[in-house]
Amino acid sequence: MKKEDMVKLISAEGFEFVIDKDAAMVSQTIYNMLTSPGSFAETQHGEVTFPEISTTILEKICKYFYWHLQFASGKETEFPIEPELTLELMMAANYLHT
Amino acid sequence: MGGACSRKSDQRDNEEILHRGVSRKYCKSGSSKWLATSFSRPAIDIQLGRGNCPPLMDLCIRKICEDIDRYNTFSTLPRDISQQIFNELVYSQRLTDVSLKAFRDCAIQDLYLGEYPGVNDSWMDVISSQGPSLLSVDLSGSEVTDTGLLHLKDCTNLLALNFDYCDQISDRGLELISGLSDLTSLSFRRNNAITAKGMNAFTNLVNLVKLDLERCPEIHGGLINLKGLSKLESLNLKCCNCITDDDMKPLSGLTNLKALQISCSKVTNVGITFLKGLPKLSLLNLEGCRVTAACLDSLSALAALLYLNLNRCKLPDDGCENLSRFRNLKVLNLGFNDITDACLVHLKGLTNLESLNLDSCRIGDEGLVNLTGLRHLKCLELSDTEVGSSGLRHLSGLANLESLNLSFTAVDDGGLRKLSGLSSLKSLNLDVRQISDAGLAALTSLTGLTHLDLFGARITDGGTNHLRNFKNLRSLEICGGGLTDTGVKNIKNLSYLRLLNLSQNSNLTDKTLELISGLTELVSLNVSNSRITSVGLRHLKTLKNMKSLTLEGCKVTANDIKRLQSTDLPNLVSFRPE
Repeated sequence: MKKEDMVKLISAEGFEFVIDKDAAMVSQTIYNMLTSPGSFAETQHGEVTFPEISTTILEKICKYFYWHLQFASGKETEFPIEPELTLELMMAANYLHT
Repeated sequence: MGGACSRKSDQRDNEEILHRGVSRKYCKSGSSKWLATSFSRPAIDIQLGRGNCPPLMDLCIRKICEDIDRYNTFSTLPRDISQQIFNELVYSQRLTDVSLKAFRDCAIQDLYLGEYPGVNDSWMDVISSQGPSLLSVDLSGSEVTDTGLLHLKDCTNLLALNFDYCDQISDRGLELISGLSDLTSLSFRRNNAITAKGMNAFTNLVNLVKLDLERCPEIHGGLINLKGLSKLESLNLKCCNCITDDDMKPLSGLTNLKALQISCSKVTNVGITFLKGLPKLSLLNLEGCRVTAACLDSLSALAALLYLNLNRCKLPDDGCENLSRFRNLKVLNLGFNDITDACLVHLKGLTNLESLNLDSCRIGDEGLVNLTGLRHLKCLELSDTEVGSSGLRHLSGLANLESLNLSFTAVDDGGLRKLSGLSSLKSLNLDVRQISDAGLAALTSLTGLTHLDLFGARITDGGTNHLRNFKNLRSLEICGGGLTDTGVKNIKNLSYLRLLNLSQNSNLTDKTLELISGLTELVSLNVSNSRITSVGLRHLKTLKNMKSLTLEGCKVTANDIKRLQSTDLPNLVSFRPE
C-alpha cells in the first residue's frame, strides 16, 4: 500500500489511526479536507487532528468507515453500537457528516 | 380499496394540492394517519435492504430510540440532533410521556405530534420548555385542553400551531395564545367550542398568513375579527355550515387573500359579491354552497382565479354561459351539477384548463366534442355520466391527459381503442361492468399507466395476459369475480405494485398469496371474499412494506393476522378482520 493512499487520523489524546484514504473519505468533512484545492495542511501531510474526538470514539468511527465500504460492496451486516457510546459518537458523526 | 366498493377512494384533496402557494406542512388525515405518513417514509429496515448505506448518524439515532429509557436528558446535545432523535421517536411511535422528559430544555424548533397517541396537558410542560426556540407545534388529535395552552405563552417565537380535532380547546384557549403575535399559521379544524367571542383573539395575530377553521360549527359572526389581518392569504372555512353571507363582508378587504374555501356553508350569491375586490384570489371553493349560476357574474371579476370548485351547487344550464369568461382557469370542478351537453359549449374556450370534473353531470357523447380543444387537460373526470363509447373519439387528441375516470359510464370494449393513443395516461379508471378482456386488449399501448382500476370490469384469466404490458403499475384493482389463481400469474411480475385489490374473486386460493409473495413493494393488499385460508398467510412474510391487509370473508381470523404482524410484518397498521 502506497503512503499516499493512506491517511492518519489523530484523536484528542494523540492516538494515531492510519487508515485507507478511501475509507476516511466516507466522511464528507474529511473528504472536503483532503480534496479541496488550496493549502489545507491536511491535504499536504495526509494527517487530520480531531481535538474534539476521543480515542474510543475515533476508533469506532474508523470501524464505521470500513463497515460502510463493505456495506456498499454488498455485504450488508449490522453495525454494532455500544449504548454508552451513542451520544458522543453521534456528535462526532454530526461533525464528520457521516 | 374497501371490500365492497372502491370508487373514489383515490380522490385527492384538490384544493390543498393545487394551491401550492401556501405551506401544507400539516397534512395528517385523521384515522389512517400512520398509514398515510408511512407511505411517504419507508421504514429504515427497508432502506437497509435496498443497499443504501445508512449514515452513522442514523444508526446512532436508531440505537438511541431503541434504548430510549437509558437517557435522562438530551439538553447537552445541539438542538438539531435532539430534533432528529425526537422525530425518529415519533415516527417509530416510541415516544411516551416518560421519554419526553429527556427533551426538556433542548431548544427544539419543531414538535410534530399530530395524531400521536396519548398526548395531553401533561406533555405541555416539556413542550413549552423549548422556550423561544420553538417555532411550530402540531398537537392535532390530542387531548390538550385550554389549561395546556397556558404553557405556550412564553414560546413567543411560535410561527405555526395546529390544534385540529382538539375538542377540549375553547374560546378560553384562544385567549391564552392571543399574545403569540408572530404566528403565521393557525389551525383549529373540527372544534365545536370556538365561537365569535373567542375569535376576538385573532385581532392580535396580525401576522397570520394561513388560518384553518374547517368544520367549526359555531364561528358565525366571528370573522369580523379577521378584518385587520391584512397578511392573510389562505382561509379555510370548509364545512362550517354556520357561515352566512354576513360572514363574507369582513373578508372583502383582505386583499392578499389567495385561497378561500367556504364549501358547504350557507353563503349565497349575495355573499359572493363581497369577494369581487380580492385581486389575488386564485382558489375559490364553493362546493355545496347555495349559489346559483348568477354568482358567476361576480366571480368573473376575479382576474387571478385559477381554481374554481362549484361541485354540488345544483347549477342548471341556464346562466352557465358566463363560464366562458373564465379563460384563465386551470381547474374547474362542475361535478354533481344539473348541467347537460348544452353547458359544455361554454367550456370550449377555456383552453388553459388542466383539470375538469364533470362527475355525475347529465352529459353525453355529443357534449364531449367541446373538449377537443382543451389541449392542456391533464385530468378529466367523467364518472357516472351518460358518456359512452362513441364519445371517446373526442378525447383521443388530448395528448396531455394523465388521469381519466370513466367509471360507471356507458363505455364498452368497442370504444377503448380510441384511448390507445393517450400516451401520457398514468391513471385510468374503468370500473365499468361492461368492460371485459377484449377492452383491455385495446389498451396495451398505454405502457405508462401507473394506476388501473378495473374494479367492476369482467376481467378473466385470459385478460390478465394484457396486464404484462403495464409494467409501471403502482396500483391495480380487479374485483369482477372472474379471476382464478391462473390469472394472478400475470400479476406476479408487476414488481412496482404498491396497492393490489383482488377482492370478490371468489375462486382465488392460497396459491394466489404464494404467487404474489415476490411483490415486495406492496403496501396494501385486499383479497377479501376469496378462498384464502390462514394456511396461506405464511406466503406474505416477504412483504415487509405491507401496511394494510384486508381479508374479509376468508378463512382467516384477526388473530392469524396479528400473529403474522408480530413475527413478520412490523409495518402492518391496518388489517381486517380486526
